[in-house]
Amino acid sequence: MAAAAMSCAASLRLISFKPTLFASSVQYPAKALILRPLKPSELPSYRRTIITFQKISTGTVRPPSASSSPSSSEDVQPIEELPPKLQEIVNLFQSVQEPRAKYRQLIFYGEHLKPLDPQFKTRENKVEGCVSQVWVRAFFDDQRNVVYEADSDSSITKGLAALLVQGLSGRPVPEILRVTPDFALLLGLQQSLSPSRNNGFLNMLKLMQKKALHLEVKGEEDSSSGESLESSFVPTPETNGGASVVDNDTESKPSFVEDLGAEDSDSGSDVVALGGRGKRIREKLEKELNPVELEVEDVSYQHAGHAAVRGSAGDDGETHFNLRIVSDAFQGKSLVKRHRLIYDLLQEELKNGLHALSIVAKTPAEV
Amino acid sequence: MEGVAMKLPSFKSLAPNAISIGHRSFSRVRRSSSLSVFSAASSSATVATNSESVSLGHRVRKDFRILHQEVNGSKLVYLDSAATSQKPSVVLEALQNYYEFYNSNVHRGIHYLSAKATDEFELARKKVARFINASDSKEIVFTRNATEAINLVAYSWGLLNLKPGDEVILTVAEHHSCIVPWQLVSEKTGAVLKYVMLNEDEVPDVDKLREMLSPKTKLVAVHHVSNVLASCLPIEEIVVCAHNVGAKVLVDACQSVPHMVVDVQKLNADFLVASSHKMCGPTGIGFLYGRSDLLQSMPPFLGGGEMISDVFLDHSTYAEPPSRFEAGTPAIGEAIALGAAIDYLSEIGMPKIHEYEVELGKYLYEKLSSLPDVRIYGPRPSESVHRGALCSFNVEGLHPTDLATFLDQQHGVAIRSGHHCAQPLHRYLGVNASARASLYFYNTKEDVDSFVVALADTVSFFNSFK
Repeated sequence: MAAAAMSCAASLRLISFKPTLFASSVQYPAKALILRPLKPSELPSYRRTIITFQKISTGTVRPPSASSSPSSSEDVQPIEELPPKLQEIVNLFQSVQEPRAKYRQLIFYGEHLKPLDPQFKTRENKVEGCVSQVWVRAFFDDQRNVVYEADSDSSITKGLAALLVQGLSGRPVPEILRVTPDFALLLGLQQSLSPSRNNGFLNMLKLMQKKALHLEVKGEEDSSSGESLESSFVPTPETNGGASVVDNDTESKPSFVEDLGAEDSDSGSDVVALGGRGKRIREKLEKELNPVELEVEDVSYQHAGHAAVRGSAGDDGETHFNLRIVSDAFQGKSLVKRHRLIYDLLQEELKNGLHALSIVAKTPAEV
Repeated sequence: MEGVAMKLPSFKSLAPNAISIGHRSFSRVRRSSSLSVFSAASSSATVATNSESVSLGHRVRKDFRILHQEVNGSKLVYLDSAATSQKPSVVLEALQNYYEFYNSNVHRGIHYLSAKATDEFELARKKVARFINASDSKEIVFTRNATEAINLVAYSWGLLNLKPGDEVILTVAEHHSCIVPWQLVSEKTGAVLKYVMLNEDEVPDVDKLREMLSPKTKLVAVHHVSNVLASCLPIEEIVVCAHNVGAKVLVDACQSVPHMVVDVQKLNADFLVASSHKMCGPTGIGFLYGRSDLLQSMPPFLGGGEMISDVFLDHSTYAEPPSRFEAGTPAIGEAIALGAAIDYLSEIGMPKIHEYEVELGKYLYEKLSSLPDVRIYGPRPSESVHRGALCSFNVEGLHPTDLATFLDQQHGVAIRSGHHCAQPLHRYLGVNASARASLYFYNTKEDVDSFVVALADTVSFFNSFK
């Protein structure tokens, strides 16, 4: 009987780290990494601790988005993309060569972590998958930067938590969400980045990012006109899918074309009569947005070839629509927010086969 | 066939002190062990302390290639055998042999390979039966592991026999695999679970257990040797008391079968479970011992091929035990390799292994307790109390996770930290987690010394921050 299946050792292997890395893409979830070529006498350790040399077997398929050249260290998120404090920390650890000294440094960080008030040691603040208990708390400062506090009963885990707290606190949400666990490699702490429930470091980072996202979403909720927002994240161009920490149903994520304000030249003439879905979309948008102008165009025929459409949608293959909406409801909202608003309204359809929308969303003043 | 050595009863060749097992349950050795295989054996029936002879641990190390490696720049010191044991080369060869020369599905075919595979598979069953002194190999059901075996009893025997208000007695020190299945089944049947707490020696209180027994008790499910406390329960005694009230007894022998002579007839247990991977066998195979009449009365657990007699569209009839409980193609190679592991252990002799481990375990306990601020859980070893060869412990002011990490990183010492699948026990002891060092007969005195040195270094490192 496997004992201690839950042990989450924030255990670190400290080596003098050479920059040549073999790494997978920076996307979540982080894949297994070869840290350096293994000598024959070394064997990968498959224990349930954070630290494992994970050898990629030749059969492993690399994620399609990974760079094609395996020896390129560009696969690791470049240090410049990290928040400034985190860069400092990385540099500090890189300058300390001796393993024990690295440990000392890590524990030192932990010792100087601001204590977490016991009232915040709640279930929602607890990092999952750890036998050493770790709590993380997040809140906004008055500039909407995320501030973190953390604690742990294990010195090493506390050190790791402190690294993350120091490195990420006081930064805006998008910057925090862009951070991938790759930087742990740069620390020279032999950190396994495989997503297992025992990986305390990875789980800590994930929780911190999830909390940052949650703060953002909640913040928007409070300031928007009462529309309830899902926590599905609208990816920004450079983090395509990378910040999908909270997004559980990536499979049903619609592909969409963001029409950045340009006139839709294909609207008007060849109008296909709207089927059931098209009518429903029109009704919903009319009801909720009170538009001054509304055009709903079914362009599914243009996409009739591609695989996702075939056999997937109900409603006679009504999968792709062009929308042009002019409404006061968009007043004061960024483009991203406008599109999100529309997507939220059409949740049902998106779940049931609506594949993509091309949206033009303007206020009357902008027309 | 390699790894399949036939054992001949040879009680006469046992040196008298090879039977010196202090614990009352095992005063009689009924199994054979031919000591003539190891030429050194006849001169060293005693244990490591005799400097002229080579200790058991040193002698067998060559059979375990995995132990001869470095981790993190230090020699590997593997002290986690309670989690899983290492396998000697004969076991690995037996597994390889099976796949290379006679792999074939069992019980179904007529052709040569299939007949051979079936023979070896059934021979492995006989070996298991003999190893624990079951009266018939039909009383051995192969399962995936001990956890599955307990679930089998819970879902097959339990669902049929437990009624609302019936009681099942467990101890607070049980492994999760001997708690959760009973929780699941008692939810379904309305049975009630009762737990025996520890006494002041940090051993389950057998007196209290006796008091808890009543006509309502239908089952007592207890460990033989605790994987945290290292304590050993007086199973024979417990069985007598349980049977007096008409209750059955299930023994979780995962930490005893690999380390000592276990005789199910002597214990008179109704059910007994163990896992192969803790006794030098491969993972993926374990077994349930069940008394014939009990197994006969039990309905199937998993349904499928092998466990049936006739299948119609609207109903089926079922096979006799043990086949009734072995649906689908079994882990054939693994069962055969388990047989090879049993042969290997039997060649050394379980009494010998046990004796060695009692000594080494005592040495571990003593050296560990000599360090300041170390708290070891479970009973103190004494003339009457023999601990299993493991120590779960905590160091004051140092989290076991930190300890285990540092030991691994800086010293190559592999121990376990966590709750060891015994959360209720840890809660009872008032801790979140503990560290555990566990030995097996391939460990040596030097392993224990390395561990203690490394531990002292670790403690001083972390203390330097205070």
